[in-house]
Amino acid sequence: MKTMELRATVNGQPRQWTIAPGDLLLDVLRREGFFGVKRGCEKGECGSCAVLVDGRLVNSCLMFAAQVEGCEVLTIEGLAEGEQLDPIQGAFLDHGAAQCGFCTPGMILAAKALLNKNPHPSEAEVREAMAGVLCRCTGYIKPVEAVLAAAKQQPAKRATRKREPAQVMR
Amino acid sequence: MFEQVEAFYRPSSVREAIRLLEGGKGRARVVAGGTDLVVGGDSTVRALIDITHSGLTYIRKQGGVCAIGAATTMAELEQSPAIRGLAGGLLARAAATCGSVQIRGVATVGGNIANGSPAADLVTPLLVLDAVVVVADANGRRKLPIPEYLAARGTKGLRRSLLVEVTVPRPLGRRCGWSFQKLGRTALDISVVNVAAGLQVDASGRIQWARLSLGAVAPTAIRAGVAEENLRGRRLDAEAVAEAAEGVMREVSPITDIRASAAYRREMCRVLTRRALEECAAQAGCAL
Repeated sequence: MKTMELRATVNGQPRQWTIAPGDLLLDVLRREGFFGVKRGCEKGECGSCAVLVDGRLVNSCLMFAAQVEGCEVLTIEGLAEGEQLDPIQGAFLDHGAAQCGFCTPGMILAAKALLNKNPHPSEAEVREAMAGVLCRCTGYIKPVEAVLAAAKQQPAKRATRKREPAQVMR
Repeated sequence: MFEQVEAFYRPSSVREAIRLLEGGKGRARVVAGGTDLVVGGDSTVRALIDITHSGLTYIRKQGGVCAIGAATTMAELEQSPAIRGLAGGLLARAAATCGSVQIRGVATVGGNIANGSPAADLVTPLLVLDAVVVVADANGRRKLPIPEYLAARGTKGLRRSLLVEVTVPRPLGRRCGWSFQKLGRTALDISVVNVAAGLQVDASGRIQWARLSLGAVAPTAIRAGVAEENLRGRRLDAEAVAEAAEGVMREVSPITDIRASAAYRREMCRVLTRRALEECAAQAGCAL
């Protein structure tokens, strides 16, 4: 089998891995021990395998590993600063927003991508941003509450806050 | 799934991408967002050519047209002021329906067209906008109106070509209306049926031109030419809308598949066409 070298930064650490040219990012990350990247539908439907690539939320099951050459990849393992949880992780704990936990890494990273761009989203914006991560246990109310609570902890920037009716996730 | 792939290329120009495509002897595939390619799981692929570093990510206003690079993502279309300002934001609105945030962040305009799905959400709006597809191969660049591209896609003439750009004429004039209607089981689903419409009325409320296109109801997205012709010159009123909606049902040839039956799709063509024309009428300032 032909191989190639992949160089990328994963959770802040420079990495060099030998991969096959057709390897998917999901498979490489799990092979290298990042089990927080979940293998779900493998069709880009469920979002359990979502990671951030240069700050952009992607389904790692739909991306070739070779596509992240030179990029910064963030998985759920890289979100906390040592023992200090990210505010979104803390809010998920406080709100009991995880049940089996399988979708939780994708949910938290989807929320991270949203709050990086839009620190004070409306509920509709949160639901839209997380619509691509499916939960089959408990639903979406607690995760959405958790993300809104995490957003509140961030320093206020916008004077007015839009509130729209929820449309996407029911 | 892609164990047989022997090489992954990241060409930094269109010229290099085309050379690699030629060298692939039919077993090289273009990767942009990968959202259709990976799901397709074609085990005959031996080489992958990533065109996201080939200078094909751009949206440019050039004279009377808007030129969109093939590797421009759905998210970039949604956010682009040029695209939001084009034909009532028709293309931006359609791009916003192409799956979840993580799909729209990587899925591209070129991929949506070149993949050839009859349900592709950008193709119906591009049909009503009279878009032109630019393809490049070893012999140079060619422009094809989008219906011609859809008909020629997959034939020998286009086999080793790369879709590099789509150009959209910027519609001018007052009293225009535009609409995109999509029916899916959830907000993120592939279309069961989608409809795009555009029209212009004169000061007395007569339709100067109307364009209607429908997706997921024929082997490719289609223009409903007969319904368009019947609308031209008529007053835009409830009766005209109802007749056009009824009429499109005779122009489509839907199939039954996992998403819907042919009969349901045909019926939904009527419903979505009516909604689309009603939205166009409201934008054009016509009370129905």
